[in-house]
Amino acid sequence: MSGVTFKQANRRYRRAFIPAMIAYAIICLGGAFLFKSLDDPPVWASALIAVLTAAPMGVVFWLMWRLMRETDEFSRLQQAMAMAGGGMITAFACTVWGFLELYDVAPSMWAFLVGPMFLLNYGLIHRFAFQGPCEPGFGK
Amino acid sequence: MKNRLRELRTKQSWSQGDLADALGVSRQSINALETGKFDPSLPLAFRIARLFGKRIEDVFDDELGHARKAAE
Repeated sequence: MSGVTFKQANRRYRRAFIPAMIAYAIICLGGAFLFKSLDDPPVWASALIAVLTAAPMGVVFWLMWRLMRETDEFSRLQQAMAMAGGGMITAFACTVWGFLELYDVAPSMWAFLVGPMFLLNYGLIHRFAFQGPCEPGFGK
Repeated sequence: MKNRLRELRTKQSWSQGDLADALGVSRQSINALETGKFDPSLPLAFRIARLFGKRIEDVFDDELGHARKAAE
Protein backbone atom coordinates (compact mmCIF):
# COMPACT_ATOMS: atom_id res chain seq x y z
CA MET A 1 0.00 0.00 0.00
CA SER A 2 1.18 3.55 -0.71
CA GLY A 3 1.49 6.19 1.99
CA VAL A 4 -1.99 7.48 1.17
CA THR A 5 -4.93 6.85 3.50
CA PHE A 6 -8.26 5.47 2.32
CA LYS A 7 -9.89 8.91 2.48
CA GLN A 8 -7.07 10.61 0.57
CA ALA A 9 -7.13 7.89 -2.11
CA ASN A 10 -10.89 8.28 -2.59
CA ARG A 11 -10.65 12.06 -2.68
CA ARG A 12 -7.90 11.86 -5.32
CA TYR A 13 -10.01 9.44 -7.34
CA ARG A 14 -13.18 11.55 -7.25
CA ARG A 15 -11.28 14.75 -7.96
CA ALA A 16 -9.95 13.30 -11.22
CA PHE A 17 -12.80 10.94 -12.18
CA ILE A 18 -15.54 13.57 -12.50
CA PRO A 19 -13.52 15.92 -14.80
CA ALA A 20 -12.48 12.90 -16.90
CA MET A 21 -16.11 11.86 -17.43
CA ILE A 22 -17.16 15.43 -18.21
CA ALA A 23 -14.28 15.63 -20.70
CA TYR A 24 -15.42 12.33 -22.23
CA ALA A 25 -18.96 13.61 -22.72
CA ILE A 26 -17.76 16.91 -24.21
CA ILE A 27 -15.18 15.26 -26.51
CA CYS A 28 -17.73 12.65 -27.65
CA LEU A 29 -20.16 15.35 -28.74
CA GLY A 30 -17.46 17.74 -29.98
CA GLY A 31 -15.63 15.01 -31.91
CA ALA A 32 -18.82 13.87 -33.66
CA PHE A 33 -19.67 17.48 -34.51
CA LEU A 34 -16.13 18.15 -35.80
CA PHE A 35 -16.10 14.95 -37.86
CA LYS A 36 -19.40 15.84 -39.52
CA SER A 37 -18.32 19.40 -40.20
CA LEU A 38 -15.15 18.28 -42.02
CA ASP A 39 -15.59 17.70 -45.73
CA ASP A 40 -13.80 14.47 -46.65
CA PRO A 41 -11.33 14.53 -43.71
CA PRO A 42 -7.93 12.86 -44.14
CA VAL A 43 -7.46 9.49 -42.45
CA TRP A 44 -5.00 10.92 -39.92
CA ALA A 45 -7.56 13.55 -38.83
CA SER A 46 -10.28 10.92 -38.40
CA ALA A 47 -7.87 8.71 -36.47
CA LEU A 48 -6.81 11.62 -34.27
CA ILE A 49 -10.43 12.49 -33.44
CA ALA A 50 -11.14 8.81 -32.65
CA VAL A 51 -8.12 8.40 -30.37
CA LEU A 52 -8.73 11.71 -28.59
CA THR A 53 -12.37 10.73 -27.99
CA ALA A 54 -11.28 7.48 -26.37
CA ALA A 55 -8.50 9.09 -24.31
CA PRO A 56 -10.66 10.06 -21.27
CA MET A 57 -11.75 6.42 -20.98
CA GLY A 58 -8.09 5.47 -20.74
CA VAL A 59 -7.69 8.09 -18.00
CA VAL A 60 -10.65 6.58 -16.10
CA PHE A 61 -9.09 3.08 -16.28
CA TRP A 62 -5.80 4.47 -15.02
CA LEU A 63 -7.62 6.22 -12.15
CA MET A 64 -9.30 2.91 -11.22
CA TRP A 65 -5.89 1.24 -11.25
CA ARG A 66 -4.40 3.99 -9.06
CA LEU A 67 -7.33 3.77 -6.62
CA MET A 68 -6.78 0.04 -6.32
CA ARG A 69 -3.11 0.59 -5.49
CA GLU A 70 -3.80 3.33 -2.96
CA THR A 71 -6.96 2.25 -1.15
CA ASP A 72 -7.14 -0.02 1.92
CA GLU A 73 -6.97 -3.78 1.57
CA PHE A 74 -10.69 -4.50 2.08
CA SER A 75 -11.68 -1.95 -0.56
CA ARG A 76 -8.93 -3.29 -2.84
CA LEU A 77 -10.34 -6.79 -2.55
CA GLN A 78 -13.81 -5.48 -3.40
CA GLN A 79 -12.44 -3.47 -6.33
CA ALA A 80 -10.48 -6.45 -7.64
CA MET A 81 -13.48 -8.77 -7.43
CA ALA A 82 -15.75 -6.21 -9.09
CA MET A 83 -13.22 -5.62 -11.87
CA ALA A 84 -12.69 -9.33 -12.43
CA GLY A 85 -16.45 -9.99 -12.42
CA GLY A 86 -17.22 -6.98 -14.59
CA GLY A 87 -14.46 -7.95 -17.03
CA MET A 88 -15.67 -11.54 -17.27
CA ILE A 89 -19.32 -10.58 -17.82
CA THR A 90 -18.29 -8.04 -20.48
CA ALA A 91 -15.97 -10.50 -22.22
CA PHE A 92 -18.65 -13.20 -22.17
CA ALA A 93 -21.33 -10.82 -23.49
CA CYS A 94 -18.99 -9.73 -26.30
CA THR A 95 -18.18 -13.37 -27.12
CA VAL A 96 -21.87 -14.26 -27.34
CA TRP A 97 -22.55 -11.18 -29.45
CA GLY A 98 -19.59 -12.02 -31.71
CA PHE A 99 -21.03 -15.47 -32.47
CA LEU A 100 -24.48 -13.96 -33.00
CA GLU A 101 -22.85 -11.66 -35.57
CA LEU A 102 -21.00 -14.59 -37.15
CA TYR A 103 -24.25 -16.47 -37.68
CA ASP A 104 -26.09 -13.37 -38.93
CA VAL A 105 -28.42 -13.22 -35.95
CA ALA A 106 -27.33 -9.84 -34.63
CA PRO A 107 -25.99 -6.67 -36.26
CA SER A 108 -22.37 -5.61 -35.88
CA MET A 109 -21.68 -4.12 -32.44
CA TRP A 110 -19.87 -0.83 -31.93
CA ALA A 111 -16.66 -1.83 -30.18
CA PHE A 112 -16.45 1.49 -28.31
CA LEU A 113 -19.38 0.31 -26.17
CA VAL A 114 -17.13 -2.28 -24.51
CA GLY A 115 -15.57 0.31 -22.16
CA PRO A 116 -18.85 1.72 -20.83
CA MET A 117 -20.28 -1.83 -20.66
CA PHE A 118 -17.34 -2.89 -18.47
CA LEU A 119 -17.83 0.16 -16.22
CA LEU A 120 -21.54 -0.64 -15.88
CA ASN A 121 -20.91 -4.30 -15.00
CA TYR A 122 -18.11 -3.34 -12.62
CA GLY A 123 -20.37 -0.80 -10.90
CA LEU A 124 -23.28 -3.23 -10.55
CA ILE A 125 -21.08 -5.97 -9.09
CA HIS A 126 -19.36 -3.52 -6.75
CA ARG A 127 -22.73 -2.29 -5.52
CA PHE A 128 -24.58 -5.59 -5.11
CA ALA A 129 -22.16 -8.53 -4.84
CA PHE A 130 -20.63 -8.08 -1.40
CA GLN A 131 -23.22 -9.34 1.04
CA GLY A 132 -21.41 -12.47 2.22
CA PRO A 133 -17.93 -13.34 3.52
CA CYS A 134 -15.16 -11.56 1.63
CA GLU A 135 -11.81 -12.75 2.96
CA PRO A 136 -8.76 -14.21 1.25
CA GLY A 137 -10.14 -17.66 2.07
CA PHE A 138 -13.44 -16.70 0.42
CA GLY A 139 -15.69 -19.69 -0.14
CA LYS A 140 -13.90 -22.01 2.31
CA MET B 1 -11.46 -15.84 11.98
CA LYS B 2 -12.89 -14.62 15.28
CA ASN B 3 -11.69 -11.38 16.80
CA ARG B 4 -12.26 -9.04 19.74
CA LEU B 5 -12.18 -5.86 17.69
CA ARG B 6 -15.67 -4.65 18.60
CA GLU B 7 -15.11 -5.34 22.28
CA LEU B 8 -11.75 -3.52 22.33
CA ARG B 9 -13.14 -0.60 20.31
CA THR B 10 -16.18 -0.05 22.50
CA LYS B 11 -13.96 -0.27 25.60
CA GLN B 12 -12.14 2.78 24.24
CA SER B 13 -15.51 4.45 23.42
CA TRP B 14 -14.46 4.71 19.77
CA SER B 15 -16.87 4.63 16.88
CA GLN B 16 -16.09 2.51 13.84
CA GLY B 17 -15.19 5.76 12.07
CA ASP B 18 -12.73 6.72 14.82
CA LEU B 19 -10.98 3.37 14.56
CA ALA B 20 -11.00 3.55 10.76
CA ASP B 21 -9.34 6.99 10.88
CA ALA B 22 -6.75 5.78 13.38
CA LEU B 23 -5.83 2.88 11.09
CA GLY B 24 -6.19 4.81 7.80
CA VAL B 25 -8.81 2.40 6.42
CA SER B 26 -12.48 2.69 5.51
CA ARG B 27 -15.30 2.38 8.05
CA GLN B 28 -16.61 -0.46 5.88
CA SER B 29 -13.35 -2.31 6.49
CA ILE B 30 -13.83 -2.06 10.25
CA ASN B 31 -17.40 -3.26 9.94
CA ALA B 32 -16.31 -6.19 7.74
CA LEU B 33 -13.59 -7.10 10.25
CA GLU B 34 -15.93 -6.92 13.24
CA THR B 35 -18.59 -9.03 11.58
CA GLY B 36 -16.04 -11.62 10.48
CA LYS B 37 -16.62 -10.99 6.77
CA PHE B 38 -13.01 -10.07 6.18
CA ASP B 39 -9.70 -11.31 7.59
CA PRO B 40 -6.97 -8.65 7.73
CA SER B 41 -3.50 -9.01 6.26
CA LEU B 42 -0.67 -9.58 8.71
CA PRO B 43 0.53 -5.92 8.54
CA LEU B 44 -3.00 -4.62 9.29
CA ALA B 45 -3.45 -7.16 12.08
CA PHE B 46 -0.19 -5.94 13.64
CA ARG B 47 -1.32 -2.30 13.35
CA ILE B 48 -4.64 -3.13 15.03
CA ALA B 49 -2.97 -5.07 17.83
CA ARG B 50 -0.40 -2.28 18.44
CA LEU B 51 -3.13 0.35 18.49
CA PHE B 52 -4.80 -1.46 21.39
CA GLY B 53 -1.50 -2.36 23.06
CA LYS B 54 -2.13 -6.08 22.63
CA ARG B 55 -0.53 -9.05 20.92
CA ILE B 56 -2.09 -10.25 17.67
CA GLU B 57 -3.32 -13.45 19.29
CA ASP B 58 -5.07 -11.38 21.97
CA VAL B 59 -7.14 -9.68 19.27
CA PHE B 60 -7.52 -12.40 16.64
CA ASP B 61 -8.17 -16.05 17.19
CA ASP B 62 -8.41 -18.68 14.48
CA GLU B 63 -10.20 -22.01 14.84
CA LEU B 64 -6.94 -23.74 15.76
CA GLY B 65 -6.45 -21.36 18.68
CA HIS B 66 -10.00 -22.02 19.86
CA ALA B 67 -9.50 -25.78 19.69
CA ARG B 68 -6.22 -25.50 21.60
CA LYS B 69 -7.79 -23.36 24.32
CA ALA B 70 -10.71 -25.77 24.63
CA ALA B 71 -8.32 -28.69 25.03
CA GLU B 72 -6.37 -27.00 27.84
